[in-house]
Amino acid sequence: MSWVNVCNESTLPQGTGVAAWVAGKAVAIFDLGQHGLYAIDNVDPATGVSLLARGLVCDMEGVLCVASPLYKQHYSLETGICIEDEALVASPYEIKKEAGQVLILAKS
Amino acid sequence: MADSTGTSNSTKLTSVKPKLVVIGNGMVGHHFIEQLCTQGLQNQFDIEVFGEEPRPAYDRVQLSKYFETGSADELMLTSAQDYQDWGVKLHLETRITALDTANKTLTTEDGVTSTYDSLVLATGSYPFVPPINGNDRERCVVYRTIEDLQDIEAAASQSKVGVVVGGGLLGLEAANALMALGVTTHVVEFAPQLMPVQLNDKAGDLLKSKINELGVSVHTSKATTAIVDGESAMHRMTFNDDTFLETDMIVFSAGIRPQDALARSSGLAMGERGGITIDDNCLTSAPDVYAIGECALWQNRIFGLVAPGYQMARVAVSHIAASANEVDSTTTFTGADMSTKLKLLGVDVAAIGESRGFENAQFVELSDNQSGIYKKLWLDETGKYLKGAVLVGDNSDYNRLLDCYLSQDEIEGNAVELLMTGDESAVELKDTSIICSCHQVTKADIVNSVKEGNHTIAEIKSCTRAASGCGGCSALVKQVMDQALIAEGVECNTGICEHFEHDRQSLYHLCQVENITDFDTLITKHGKKSPTGQQTTFGCDLCKPAAASIFASLQNKYVLNQESSHVQLQDTNDAYLGNLQKDGTYSVVPRVAGGEITPDGLIAIGAVAKEFDLYTKITGGQRIDMFGAKLSDLPIIWHKLIDAGFETGHAYGKSLRTVKSCVGSTWCRYGVQDSVGTAIDLENRYKGLRSPHKIKFAVSGCTRECAEAQSKDIGVIATDKGWNLYVAGNGGMRPRHGDLFATDLDTETLVKYIDRVLMFYIKTADKLQRTSVWMESLEGGLEYLQSVVIEDSLGIAAELDAQMNSVSDTYQCEWKTSLEKPEFLSRFNEFVNPDAKPDGETHLYERVRDQRFPLSPESSGAGNIAIKDITTEQNEQAVAEELV
Repeated sequence: MSWVNVCNESTLPQGTGVAAWVAGKAVAIFDLGQHGLYAIDNVDPATGVSLLARGLVCDMEGVLCVASPLYKQHYSLETGICIEDEALVASPYEIKKEAGQVLILAKS
Repeated sequence: MADSTGTSNSTKLTSVKPKLVVIGNGMVGHHFIEQLCTQGLQNQFDIEVFGEEPRPAYDRVQLSKYFETGSADELMLTSAQDYQDWGVKLHLETRITALDTANKTLTTEDGVTSTYDSLVLATGSYPFVPPINGNDRERCVVYRTIEDLQDIEAAASQSKVGVVVGGGLLGLEAANALMALGVTTHVVEFAPQLMPVQLNDKAGDLLKSKINELGVSVHTSKATTAIVDGESAMHRMTFNDDTFLETDMIVFSAGIRPQDALARSSGLAMGERGGITIDDNCLTSAPDVYAIGECALWQNRIFGLVAPGYQMARVAVSHIAASANEVDSTTTFTGADMSTKLKLLGVDVAAIGESRGFENAQFVELSDNQSGIYKKLWLDETGKYLKGAVLVGDNSDYNRLLDCYLSQDEIEGNAVELLMTGDESAVELKDTSIICSCHQVTKADIVNSVKEGNHTIAEIKSCTRAASGCGGCSALVKQVMDQALIAEGVECNTGICEHFEHDRQSLYHLCQVENITDFDTLITKHGKKSPTGQQTTFGCDLCKPAAASIFASLQNKYVLNQESSHVQLQDTNDAYLGNLQKDGTYSVVPRVAGGEITPDGLIAIGAVAKEFDLYTKITGGQRIDMFGAKLSDLPIIWHKLIDAGFETGHAYGKSLRTVKSCVGSTWCRYGVQDSVGTAIDLENRYKGLRSPHKIKFAVSGCTRECAEAQSKDIGVIATDKGWNLYVAGNGGMRPRHGDLFATDLDTETLVKYIDRVLMFYIKTADKLQRTSVWMESLEGGLEYLQSVVIEDSLGIAAELDAQMNSVSDTYQCEWKTSLEKPEFLSRFNEFVNPDAKPDGETHLYERVRDQRFPLSPESSGAGNIAIKDITTEQNEQAVAEELV
């Protein structure tokens, strides 16, 4: 397990998601400013399609989520757990900004 | 044993059922049959109904509606088919001329005699025509039946001036009808005031001045002495004070008299001034003969309203059923409250109980000359009990006052407070309060119906019949239902999601009046406060796209605008200006207005599809859909299409999709108008218009309707004189034929009406509500929409026109704008680090029928998690709405 430098922090869009390649896996990154920086699997566990970064960010009773663009399940950005079905999880990644760079902890 | 049972059964089946005859098929006579049949009594009786009029029962209470719609259809309460389905024999246009109660027979005017076992007289009443010389002159008519209305219509077509004789309830209704027919209208009343039966003098005077303001001349204290030839008009009416009035037509509406001639000639007991005497069971003096409605006299009173008539009908049904089954009848007629609330010529008028006061009464009087409101409460000598009330100009207190009057509960505090409590609230109503007086439905009935699972007005109506009589109580029924729903823990669902308590219409209104142009402001100012106090402004996938649509309708700015963060609000398809497909790729649909495309256009689309290996298919909206485009290829694909002269088709938006057309008069042997040309013009006018849901049009060039316009939100069908406009049709999962909105329009008027219909839809519809459902949810439905659009009844037509012109003038092809500003294109770079893409990572496809199809993730092995359908109900809806 190691930190992977994915991009310059200025290239992250604010308030919406974007995808990144981390050790061969697609990861969805959400930079929500004062509300935090998150990374989860880009693959929608309900369908197997890689597109969660394209979802809308939602505040579901205080839990920040992304709504899958396909069938609108909501995944917590913090835990990756699906609000509608706890068995579905888009695994979260550790993510941080350091010296102007965005780093994600790769899962080997 | 088996044999004997069989025998007795067959005996029973062949035995003759007792014969029940009803004379009269007005509102009360029909209600009687309806009640009988809802209880299944048509199986116990052989039922025959005789009616004098040429059609079955219709709504006489709302007679003047006939002139608004020009047709009797809207008034019908039933049909011959209903009677046939019930197994009830209905004889229309058949007068009964003789009744022999000793031998239990009756004879029609054609001399046909038949027998009865039980007889119900529901003969109603006839209009009283004052005995004035000349009252039988030409164009002197009465106001009671649909035939009378046709006579009035015919007379009005030759008249400039019309007089209504009688300033009571019916007279003012008739005046309304004359106004609607465009005749200069006068009302002549014998008493010194209008509505002398219900109103006191001050209330009558206020009503008079209000009606005068509406352009009806009211003449009180006038007794007509004769009608003779006029000088400036057909008739001259001379009055007892030596004045006169000239007019081209006269409508007598000076009260009603019980239609009791048949009963009188057969020797039934009658009142001194007419009316068939009945007891508490509605039985007359003859055995097994009942009388109900306006022909019946109970304790020396005639009840000239429909609600007491319905009560009598129910009492008679109960007694007949009880007698047949040899048990005691459970209900009796105990009199009826004659309180009434109406809108006469648009003026609110209500009378409760002893509305004209009585000796020694205490009273509270409110006379608001500025707002044109008069209210008076009559209290008993102690001042503690409400005995009567009269309201003019504002009926909003009616239900609360009626409840207070009927319950006879002691008034808490000062009686004046009854007038000061502001908007009425259903909370204050008791369980026993009658909400619908036509069908005697109490608050408890409605609440229980909600508890049984009826959660919509339509369900409540069909189950309890509340609001299905005169309809005056529908707002109150809705209020009671909503409160019961809340009590049941069912959300009334006015808010669009957990972040807003507002529905889409309120949000639209807020954004418009407060000029709100971004989501942060909207949710900060108007969002629900979260219980934790921790507030973010992210909203959710329900409210954000709704807000984006509202902003787009109001300002029509570029939808992927970064500055006001509109891009963060857009739903799946809008966000990338394409329709997301199941494998994460997009479909691309250029606009092909009216379905007309050049060979070069076809070749250009073909070349693009071939270059990017896109699956192509012709859509139902007469254009070409190309599937399987990768997110990152969308800009270059569109670049090529725009270079070839195409523009975006908005297939991804909640907006105008297509205007389908048939080939029309340019080629077709039968076409009468240029349907393709009009379709192209309409599509170009409304393209890019953002709306609560997608909108589809079609234009047919003749009545053969090859473009299937009646299944579209907006349907246009050519006639030899112009265009017929249909609105609110739908295909899809809930098909609905469009309603004919207007006929034979020229193109300019057609466009004007469509502008207004669409803008009014955008302004008032709920989120993701198609026009068909919207139309059905509008109180007043098609007629209401016609009045708003054609007659500008809300005074907003100019605003709607201006808004549509502004949207049309600010149209932009979103793809063209995006391509011109490269900063907008960054979002089509799916990965921030595309270079780190692992080798061999591609979408997997198979080829079928020479085209490319996606392999599902499990068959391609791309995903290691099985597809699991966990869509919640709400999601299902959202997803279903999103499919093209």
